[in-house]
This record gives sequence, structure tokens and C-alpha cells, in this order.
Amino acid sequence: MQVDNNIYKPLRAELTGIIDESPVIKTFVLKPENHFSFKTGQFIELSVDGIGEAPFTPSSSPLITENLEVTVMKTGYVTEYMHNLRPGVFMGIRGPYGRGYPVNSFFGKEVLILGGGCGLAPIRSLLYALEDIKEKLIKVILCYGSKTPSDCIYKPLFTRLNNTEKFEAHLTVDKPDKEWNGSVGVATTLLSKIQINIDNAIAVVCGPPVMMKFGTIRLLEMGFKDDQIYLSMEKNMSCGLGKCGHCMMGEFFICKDGPVFTYAELKDTPDIWK
Amino acid sequence: MLYKCIKKEEWDKVLEQFLLSYTIFANIENEFCPDYELIRPQDIPRISYNKPKPATSLKSFFLPVRENVSCPGYDGKPRIIMGAPNCDIEGLSLLDEIYLDNEFSDIFYKRRRENTILISADCNSINKHCHCLSYDIKPYSSEKADIAINYLDGIIVLGIITAKGEDLVNRIAAELIPGDNILISAVERLHKAVEASLVTENEGLPSYEDTGKLVNESGPDIWERYSSNCVSCGACVTSCPACSCFLLIDKPGLEKVKQMDGCQYPGFERVAGGEDPLRELHIRFRNRYMCKYVWKPRKFSSHACTGCGRCIEACIGKINKNEIFKELVKQPVNAG
Amino acid sequence: MKKNQTIKPILEEIKKIRFFDDYDEKQLLTIAGISSIKQFKVKEILFEQYDELSELYILIQGTLSLGISLPNEKRIHLGTIEEGELFSWSAVFSPYISTAWVKALTPVKVIAIDSKKLNLEFTRDCEFGLKSMSKIAQTISRRLTDTRFHLINLLTIT
Repeated sequence: MQVDNNIYKPLRAELTGIIDESPVIKTFVLKPENHFSFKTGQFIELSVDGIGEAPFTPSSSPLITENLEVTVMKTGYVTEYMHNLRPGVFMGIRGPYGRGYPVNSFFGKEVLILGGGCGLAPIRSLLYALEDIKEKLIKVILCYGSKTPSDCIYKPLFTRLNNTEKFEAHLTVDKPDKEWNGSVGVATTLLSKIQINIDNAIAVVCGPPVMMKFGTIRLLEMGFKDDQIYLSMEKNMSCGLGKCGHCMMGEFFICKDGPVFTYAELKDTPDIWK
Repeated sequence: MLYKCIKKEEWDKVLEQFLLSYTIFANIENEFCPDYELIRPQDIPRISYNKPKPATSLKSFFLPVRENVSCPGYDGKPRIIMGAPNCDIEGLSLLDEIYLDNEFSDIFYKRRRENTILISADCNSINKHCHCLSYDIKPYSSEKADIAINYLDGIIVLGIITAKGEDLVNRIAAELIPGDNILISAVERLHKAVEASLVTENEGLPSYEDTGKLVNESGPDIWERYSSNCVSCGACVTSCPACSCFLLIDKPGLEKVKQMDGCQYPGFERVAGGEDPLRELHIRFRNRYMCKYVWKPRKFSSHACTGCGRCIEACIGKINKNEIFKELVKQPVNAG
Repeated sequence: MKKNQTIKPILEEIKKIRFFDDYDEKQLLTIAGISSIKQFKVKEILFEQYDELSELYILIQGTLSLGISLPNEKRIHLGTIEEGELFSWSAVFSPYISTAWVKALTPVKVIAIDSKKLNLEFTRDCEFGLKSMSKIAQTISRRLTDTRFHLINLLTIT
């Protein structure tokens, strides 16, 4: 939402809670001062007062509007600063921006979600949205790969999904620890074990660029068509307004034309996996 | 276009009157090169008409290098910009599409745009690197300025284009003579002469659309070769009337400062994790031409290059983009 | 032909496996005729890295771990084999030496195909041979791609 018609002015939001998800990942709970809502898959530009701002896709349910959650991995200057914040400070939210997942077009279909690493944050929001419309879906399958068991955040989510009608969740890790007795290997290895009617399915891929590339290739090999595969391309979004030029990927402004694209829209664009 | 004429001496007095209500910037020919200056009454005789374009493009009046976008800096006082060449007016057209879109209209840009009257000057001569006509952009005023101006034989010829322009002309207390056929014909002859010069000077330069095809199909070698002199100074970006990328910088109190940026600077697309698709110089270099000739044309109806030639004049490494395009024309497809 | 097990239960299991979806009845019977069903207990090693292999396996029940061993004999768990997947493909190609160890993570049931007899069948029926080799090659290719992806994942940040 725009504050005072000024597209650059953020909405103030109080940081009301911080959840430690892993040694390098925290979820920040924010309470915006004014009404704020988003569609799953859209992103916000979150400002740390006087330090900088960075784009994040909320990991909370789009149905809950009193507050929103943003899951942040400590990666660079702004996120490192964020990880040292304490509840009570005020942050700035600009947005929501971009094109989210067209969940209404998933009605009557089987939804396959292939995720990896940091991609689980926006996927969680999508899962909440799909749970709300599950009577209209055939089934939802999550295949997720994380680097190690400790890097896998939201672990209770997997148990809950496997106990939810029409949902199933599969998890694998690249590097197991001594206690791990689940699947080992990359997320794409989970695709061999699922049962899915590809003719009536859509696939959502969300994660680091390497995972998106290999995941898309595997899905195409399985028989998914270009327009059945949805990709969340999050790449250096800055203004969020389709103006500053930083997120241009070929002819697309990721912040405005995306971040959710079908593979059909992107397949002729060079260097989409960079 | 409706033409009105006024003697030069009378016009200078009109400008003095306008200074009471407007801030006026005009093209002044100084020791080094022509450029805009803020006009005071004593500067009026120095104003240059229809001579080669100002060094600074119109962009700077609407997109300041650095601007606090949390509070209005520009007070909204109306202003007149005189002497803008048509290539700059066309560049503004692209900026309008980007900054005044329906979904996210930039109120700072909008306020400046609404409070500015553009008096475009027909070009009666060309600089060495002017090539607007190759891209179907005329070297004289189009419907996108408010008023067109020509200075011939002691007479100022005003072409009224928009309602805003008409409103300004209506404020002129002095008597205006309707444009007579002799003067208008003289203006049109000048147009044709300049067009002929542009055609001669730019022989072999492909059109805007053809350049897009050539750039899109080109291999990496030609870009590696031409970019070897590039030092990523960003002069091309800064001087370009159509380049408008920027950075948003955070200040305390959740304030934002908008600062012009450029894709030629290293780190333009670098992400927090360290990946940088434009890390390599020749890729960054080619990317700018892909943006201007291939990608922006798919998104916007206005030209992303208006043929002003400033990038060639400004380049420290003496890189001439038109040489690249002429070479691509001669190469077999997919070579280079 | 089988002496200790009848073909029928093996044929029924084979027909459930996606790998054999496009085989005709004659080809399925051929495979069943040279196969057996084997069971393994939890933590049982099916074969070690560098073992000489004589059977091509398809997992029909349970989960297996796959990996390599370091010189100090420490096992590195690199992958998981799920139901319906083919493994022990080295049994079909000279020098028939396993490239990895495979261990049961849960109680496991496999179809074990005699690889020497299978290769003989391939020479008798080239169409059958080409189809089967292509499918085995696809499995290996997919596993190689997954391994490369796995390697990149481990070398880069997420």
C-alpha cells in the first residue's frame, strides 16, 4: 500500500517477536501500523531504520492481516543487522509488490511444490493459502530439500501437513547427521517417489537458482509443460516499483512482472538462472 | 502547429517579464560547450538558439542526481526550460512511461513535469555524433514539447504545440504576428537541410529496430573487443537522456534518498549472497545495449536511445557505439 | 526357469513397477523368469562398494541408503533409494563392480534380476535389449544429474 501517495514512503511496523529457526535463520513478526495485506508470492521491501532495505516474501498466511512474518537468513549487510534487532523497534514496509501465485487457477488440480533452502519461507505462505482452499484442490505435495537437518526450518510443518487431508510432505537433506534417518540427496530425488497425474497438475518451484534450474529440468523431463511450472524468481529487487532497473531480467522487471512467472514466460530469456 | 512571431528585442523583454513568475533555464553557449544555465535578466542576451544541444540532458531537471523522497524538495514553482533538442524531449517520453505509470506514479517526477513548460529548439545544425534521424526521431520539435522555437533573421518564431504552451504564449503582452509563409518555409528549409546532414553523417548506421536485431543475435567477441577501453566510469549512463536507474538509500527515521545509479558500475546487479550476473565488464557493457535496443522496446513504446550521441562524446575510453552497430551490419549473422 | 519360486508372484510385483510400464507381456514374463524376490532386514548391507555384482535390483518395498566409503572405512550416506527405483546397475555392465554400498534403512523387499541371464536375453531380443538399456541409462543419467546438483549445493550457499 502507498503511504500519502508517495510510492517511496514505507509503512511503519513494530517488530513484535523474533523466532529462532536455525543458527542463521530467524522469523520476524511484524505488526504494521495500518492495515496491510498481501497475496501469497508477493514480496515486500523491509527497511531497517537508517541501515537499508531488502526484499522478502512473507512466510505467514495471507489470511492473517493483523501481523505478518518474514523469515530472514543472515546473508549480507542488512540481514546481519536485522539478526541483531530486538522486539520493540520499528521497521518500514513498502509493498506488497509483484505478481503472486495465481492460486485460483490451481482449482481442481494436483499441486506439486518443489522447494529448497531459503525457498521454504515463501512456500509456507503458499501452503497456508492452499490449505484454506483445499476443498477445491485434488491434492498438494511438498518435496523439499535442505542442506542439513538443522537447516530445515519449520520442522513441525512437515508433520502437520502429513496429517492434513489432501496434503503430503517429503523432506530430504544433502548432508545427514548421525540422528537423521530420512531421505538423503537433493530435492529432485524426491520426485521419483511421488504419485502425481501430470496432465492435471501444476508445479511450483522455489529456492536458490541452482535448485530452480535443476528442478525445472527434472519437471520438464517428467512431462510437465512450460506453462504448468511456476517459478519464483527473486533477483536483486530494489525499488519494487518497476523503475530502478536493478531487477531487470531480459525484458522483465522481476518486481513488477514477477516474481512469480511460468517457465513458458521465461524460457527464451537469457541467463535466468544466474 | 500554430506559428506566432515576435521581434527578438521584444522577445528578450518578454523573458524579463516571465522571470517574475517562472524560473527559467536556457541553453547558453559558453567557453567549453553549450549547456543549460539558470537565467537572470543579464543572461538573456547570452541565450543560444537552435545551436548544438546542451551538454546536460533534460533528464536532470526531472530526476535529480540525489533527492530525499520522504519530503518534497522541489517547491513546485513553475519553470520554463528553453532550448531542449527533440532528442531530449523524446528521452523524456520514456521517463514518463516509467515514472508516471498507472500503478506507481512518482509524485516528485510528476510535480516537476506538471510545473515545467518545455520550449524545444529546432536543431539548425548537428554535432558530429548526432544520429536521431537514424532512429526516426526528427531534429526539430515534435508534439511532445509545449512550444517550438526558431530564431531567424531577427525574428523569434514560436510554434505552439500544447495547451500549456498556448497558455504561456497568451501571457505575452507584446504583439505577436501570425507566422507568415515565408518564415515558415524558411524554417522548413532548415529542417530539410539538417535532415540531409544527418543522413550523410550517419550513412551505414542501422535503424533502431535493426540495431536491436543485430545486438540480440551478436556473439560475445565484438563486445569484448569494444569494451576493452571501458573503465566503467558511467559517463554514458549519466549523460543519457533515457537512462534512469536509481538506488534507494535509507536514512534515519525511515527516510529514503533516491540517488541515480548506472548499470555500468560494478555491483549493479550484485545480490547479498555475492552472485553478480554483470560482474564481467564485457557482459555489463553488452547488457546496456540489450536493455536499450532489445528489452526496453518490448516493454515501452518510447525509444530507449534517441540518437543524441552524448554517450559517444562523453566516453573516456573513446568508445563509439555506432561503430559497433555499423560493424555488426557488415558481419555475417551470429559472427563476432 | 524358476525352481524354488513360482513366476506368478514375481510377475505381479513387476507389473506394479513404473519402470516396466511399457513392456509387453512376453517381455515381463522373460524378466520374471530370471528374477527372484529377496528380503533384507534393517541395517543389512545389500552390497559393498567394489563388490562384484550379479543381480540388477528394483526396490519394491522399504527404503535404502546409498553411499561411498572413505579409506578409513567410514560410510558417507549420499542418497536414498525409494520404492520403484532401480539400483545395482553395475551388474549389467562390465566390469560388474559396484560403485557404491547400499544398506537397508527399513525392512526391504527387492526384485533381483539375474544380470548374466538378462544380458543373454538382450542378445536374443534386441528390441527388448535396447529398451531396457535405454531405461537403465536414463536412471544412471538422472542419478548423475542429481549428484552434480548435490555437489553444487554443497559447494555453494543456499
